Amino acid sequence: MRNRYIESFERAQIEAKNIPAFRAGDTLRVAVRIKEGNKERVQNYEGICISIRGEGTGRTFNVRKVGANNIGVERIFPIYSNSIESIEVLRRGRVRRAKLFYLRELKGKAARIKELRRK
Amino acid sequence: MEFIIEKIGMSRTIEVPSVPVTLLKVIDAKVCEVREDGKALVAYNSSKKLNKSIEGQQTKYSISKEFNKFMTIEVAEGTEAGDLSTAPLAEAASVKTSLNTKGRGFQGGMKRHNFSGGPAEHGHRFGRRIGSIGNAEWPGRVQPGKKMPGQYGNTKVTVKNEVVSFDAENGILVLKGSIPGHNGARGLVRIVK
Repeated sequence: MRNRYIESFERAQIEAKNIPAFRAGDTLRVAVRIKEGNKERVQNYEGICISIRGEGTGRTFNVRKVGANNIGVERIFPIYSNSIESIEVLRRGRVRRAKLFYLRELKGKAARIKELRRK
Repeated sequence: MEFIIEKIGMSRTIEVPSVPVTLLKVIDAKVCEVREDGKALVAYNSSKKLNKSIEGQQTKYSISKEFNKFMTIEVAEGTEAGDLSTAPLAEAASVKTSLNTKGRGFQGGMKRHNFSGGPAEHGHRFGRRIGSIGNAEWPGRVQPGKKMPGQYGNTKVTVKNEVVSFDAENGILVLKGSIPGHNGARGLVRIVK
């Protein structure tokens, strides 16, 4: 159990955040605020969430996508960071693990994830 | 002005860029007697220890049983006997924190003084030894202050940190960055400005 003072300090910051529920295997679109000089713009990053870890304000998630020339890209975001404008869940995946690091070894068709169908 | 504190632990903020913070609990203290040099005798709670000399002090200053430890600290001007006010912390911009560092016991030169040591394998016998500690017949002694193995840690260290926020209700002081010591360690904070 974490210290209650640390917890209340973190809860005060997190409370106002409206984060959708998602888990590993879900396809996400993350809108990231980017500052260039004194201009600020929002960039979308889309991929499969392969892990969620940590607690409180230090909670992060890892989003993997296969970019141009078949190069895998993974970005780790702090869930509650102010630099994240929004997180959108595009597709729920059917997976049997909490951490999908095995996707790093797979290519092309093998690296697909089935969509979750609820009965 | 000084306050007795207990280190709670570390966290971070969600701002951009994120700030690493250390949380401190300001220990409730009762002012017993204000001295002329700006210092005061204060009592605070520490374990359950009680003996006749402590009880004698408690009756003398008419304070309750929990306040069983005494210490002399700097206080704000115009402080009177009674509860020690934490109001000055609310306006503090930066503080100096003094705590004992984590004790690491008796350590060799490599860990204690960052000596480089020697190769571990291929017939070397130097390993983690400290090497030569002096010259020859002259001066015939080891220079005072020579870095050698010994007790490492558990020494008082003072660091300066910015204040991020202060919650007067719960007595929680939030500092930017890290401070020495383990979680639960007690020490003093002094307001710099």
